[in-house]
Amino acid sequence: MGQPNFWGVRHLSPAGAYHLLHYLDEIKPRLVLVEGPSDFNSQLKNITMPETQPPIAILAYTSEAPVRTILYPFAEYSPEYQAIMWCHKNKVECRFMDLPSEVFLALSANAEAKANEDFNGDDNVDDIEESHSDEGEEGRAGVYRRLDEISGEDGGSETFWERVIERSADSEAYREGAYEFGRQLRELTEGVDSDWEETKLREAYMRRKISDAVAGGIEPERIVVVTGAYHVEGLRDYCSCMSDADIAKLPRLEANHTLMPYSYYRLSSRSGYGAGNRAPAYYELLWESLCRKEPHFAAYSYLSRIAGYQRSTGNPVSSADVIEAVRLADSLAGMHDSKIPALRDIRDAAITCIGGGSLAAINLAVADTEIGTRIGSLPDGVSRTSIQEDFYRLLKDLKLERYRDISAQDLSLDLRENRNVKSERAAFLDLYRSFFLNQLSVLGVSFAKKQATKQDNATWAENWVLRWSPEAEIELVEAALKGDTIAQAASFCMKERVEAAPNMGEIARVIEEAFDCGMAGAVSYATSALQAMSVDAASVEELANTVQRLSVVVQYGNIRRLDSSPLIPIMTRMFYRACLLLPGACVCDDGGARVIIGAIEKLNSAALAHDVLDQEAWISALDETAYRDDLNTKLSGFAAAILLERGVMDSSRLKLEVQRRLSKGVPADLGAGWFEGLAMKNRYALIARLSLWENLDAYLAGLDDEEFKRALVFLRRAFADFTSQEKDEIAENLGEIWGLNGQQVSETVNAVLDDAESQMVESLDDFDFDL
Amino acid sequence: MEQILRLPAEKLFQNEIDALIAAEKDPIPTGWKMSPKSVRTYICGGRVGNTIITPKYIGHERLVEIAIATLVTDRALLLIGEPGTAKSWLSEHLTAAINGDSTKVVQGTAGTTEEQIRYSWNYAMLIANGPSPEAMLKSPIFNAMESGSIARFEEISRCASEVQDALISILSEKRIAVPELATEVAAKKGFSVIATANTRDKGVNEMSAALKRRFNIVVLPAPADIDSEMEIVRTRIEQLAGGLDLNAALPTAEVVEKVCTIFRELRSGETLDHSQKIKSTSGVLSTAEAISLLCNSMALAGSFGGGTITDEDLAAGLQGAVVKEDEKDSVAWKEYLENIMKKRGSRWTGLYKACRELNS
Repeated sequence: MGQPNFWGVRHLSPAGAYHLLHYLDEIKPRLVLVEGPSDFNSQLKNITMPETQPPIAILAYTSEAPVRTILYPFAEYSPEYQAIMWCHKNKVECRFMDLPSEVFLALSANAEAKANEDFNGDDNVDDIEESHSDEGEEGRAGVYRRLDEISGEDGGSETFWERVIERSADSEAYREGAYEFGRQLRELTEGVDSDWEETKLREAYMRRKISDAVAGGIEPERIVVVTGAYHVEGLRDYCSCMSDADIAKLPRLEANHTLMPYSYYRLSSRSGYGAGNRAPAYYELLWESLCRKEPHFAAYSYLSRIAGYQRSTGNPVSSADVIEAVRLADSLAGMHDSKIPALRDIRDAAITCIGGGSLAAINLAVADTEIGTRIGSLPDGVSRTSIQEDFYRLLKDLKLERYRDISAQDLSLDLRENRNVKSERAAFLDLYRSFFLNQLSVLGVSFAKKQATKQDNATWAENWVLRWSPEAEIELVEAALKGDTIAQAASFCMKERVEAAPNMGEIARVIEEAFDCGMAGAVSYATSALQAMSVDAASVEELANTVQRLSVVVQYGNIRRLDSSPLIPIMTRMFYRACLLLPGACVCDDGGARVIIGAIEKLNSAALAHDVLDQEAWISALDETAYRDDLNTKLSGFAAAILLERGVMDSSRLKLEVQRRLSKGVPADLGAGWFEGLAMKNRYALIARLSLWENLDAYLAGLDDEEFKRALVFLRRAFADFTSQEKDEIAENLGEIWGLNGQQVSETVNAVLDDAESQMVESLDDFDFDL
Repeated sequence: MEQILRLPAEKLFQNEIDALIAAEKDPIPTGWKMSPKSVRTYICGGRVGNTIITPKYIGHERLVEIAIATLVTDRALLLIGEPGTAKSWLSEHLTAAINGDSTKVVQGTAGTTEEQIRYSWNYAMLIANGPSPEAMLKSPIFNAMESGSIARFEEISRCASEVQDALISILSEKRIAVPELATEVAAKKGFSVIATANTRDKGVNEMSAALKRRFNIVVLPAPADIDSEMEIVRTRIEQLAGGLDLNAALPTAEVVEKVCTIFRELRSGETLDHSQKIKSTSGVLSTAEAISLLCNSMALAGSFGGGTITDEDLAAGLQGAVVKEDEKDSVAWKEYLENIMKKRGSRWTGLYKACRELNS
């Protein structure tokens, strides 16, 4: 029985990829088997399309919630990717041979259930990816740690791999070296790793695939198997393999898969990947230097890129520095018996010669050079989920394609009609963009983030920060369960939220968002839910919040070209309820008063914005609040301020009220509290009324010392945030009352306190109100 | 020999250097006595044949590699770092291993002049006979250029900037012009300079960018973890105690651990387990300071005590090391005693009491 040709690799190994190509040229196989879920075979044709640019990844995801995913990333320098490309070029059959993704997903679900730990979705990805890769677990990690120690360098195993295996002179050397590495690793950890059972299962399945191929009439000698070096030993005896019955017994979870663009950034931040995981852009340089047959190319470009980046950020770096860095890197490599510097040598040389001894000086340049910002791309229509299709179609439609980039970009939208263009679509382009981006936010896709607008209430302007990342793509795929298009999924999401909403405020939020998303259907659904809920009891505060949200939508909804009239009846009803509840709610302490003041403000601005709201009821609610004596006086004062502002309270009424509230016998804190509430609004109107100040003056004069102290604390607070201009004007009033020069009074009032005075005021802090 | 307080490194570790040279297998750069790898073994420790090489610089082996590799490329090396991070120590041992001679030193001060970097004259001869090679007094750097070896420049940042800049053309052109003799001296292969500079002390001058560009800069950090710091302290104390006849037993591991713990915590401003913030003191609590503190305590114990370090001896040393400048240090130290040390349990009680007594 012949043996197939095994090519053991480390995933993402440039030398592995480079030498593999030569090896394939030499063997001229009829079939190449690649480690990877065997149900991914249908993706091969997409991977080989000329428009497909790595880094890319195959993503498998369960078709039912909770969504589990596994990822198989490929960079240009992945041996697996190069093997697939070689087969395509040479018209040789290529197959994936590992367990189907459904089984992987089910295994991970089982393992998780067993571990009984609550991972969130992201952790799932990591988890599976680790077990898929050949590095990263306890047992193997232990071996790597020992290797670190033996090689006497930090990150030793990584550097060891680069110095020894990546620098293999020819394909046979690489093959032998990687095989030996994998074999010994296996010997040391056999049965120790927690995923050993899974490894055995996978290998039995892969052996079956080899055996199937041989049974299909392909001579074993003309088969090349590209697999992790660790597995080579486990695949040799391909005759003893998994039976049909065993395969049928494997656990499965229904799953779909799709090809997606990937990024170097993501590749670098994944745990569990061996070679190249931390510095994908550097490994691409290694790949390039292999293809150019210039071993020093990687070091030279690395250092010139660092220098270039530093210069572009305004830090001068001379060519002499770069040359010195190259020399230092070479001599560092020399100390480890290597002619070509490894990443570690190059980076240390850059730190010493370009960074002046500190990594912090060049760490951005290092990140840019080692990780890079490259993202992959796929041709249109390549086997995406329908929601991804929709996403990319909309990106194109809305001319947002250039924002599909790994670096964050700002986008400002003007939602108003652009009258300079002909088509309706173009005139409202920004509006549609806003709908689209808002829908993505609702779905929790991190592609777009809304920023606060600078101008208050500028409802026609929106600022966004757009940044594409593979995470966004994954989030999109996860949203696939919710609907086939972005809009559908978003509307489903909102519906879910409405159903789970604990209070009316939450539903009003959904309505607001539905308007932002331009989704009339969701608006009406949420509105009827709101109606149903509004029957239940609710606090003034909650009603006010809801009314305010609805008010904003009704007021500015038309800029989004949606009919907001269905909201008006419900808003009116709630507003009326709030009016009825308000006086009763004003029996509270000062802490509660702060909340009610906010609610009053919101209700008042809603009342001012919409004539349809019951103005009469509002005024009478305020009236009652203002004139009743058994409520929190601060709130009464505040209600009076609003009445004054709205011109409902005339001067004589105010005078009367001031006299009543500030008359002798009323406890000082209540009187002053009332004044504090009154002074919170329309100060000009107050300042202009001389009679008010006369009353206040007379009131203060009538207090005895102890009462005065009490009043002072409240009044001081009330006047604390008056501007000095306002204080000036008050001073003028007082001057007039006392028959003094306004200027003098103003100086006294605005003067900084001297020490003795400060002390007196400070002593008020200890004032005991319970007296 | 017996009377010398401190022998140069190449004499102190003569047998190690000889063993390394005898066992040399790798190519040796021009002007060097051993290969870069052997230099690394000499500094970081190891074993050659039957000779054990004691580690001279512990932790951060990579920085040593970078330093050696720099010297291989004929670039000058600048070691910078906080006080007490073994800059001079490393520079001395590098030259001892590379040239077998660590004595070509310019000791930088505010009063260092350009002549001390280049050359000056024996004025009696100069006046009697006019300028002549015999009348010339060569600086250590001049000597190093002629012999193709490495010169050391200690505390370069203490010299005035104008004086520092005298090095610029020497380092870039590797030659010194002597206009008085109408000649110039070119450096032989193997010439280089190791400078050390302090980043924290008062009274240092900023180095010019032009000069910095001519150096490869290696920043020496404080020891990364308490284990390596304890190791450093222990080895140095052993070496020093041999030379100084202190008549006291070496400090126990527990004492070393206590001192290192206190120093590391006060230096970083938090407890070793990162659970509590601590007020730092103004003084530099370097590893070197810890070593001298322990030597001091040994001297106290040897001369006035029973020969082993007691908590009182240690407390006296700590008080002096921690409370350096002003009242604030005393307050910070008291806070540390009450908030951290007091709560550490019985192992620390003795030391706590002794410290509190002194700092009251």
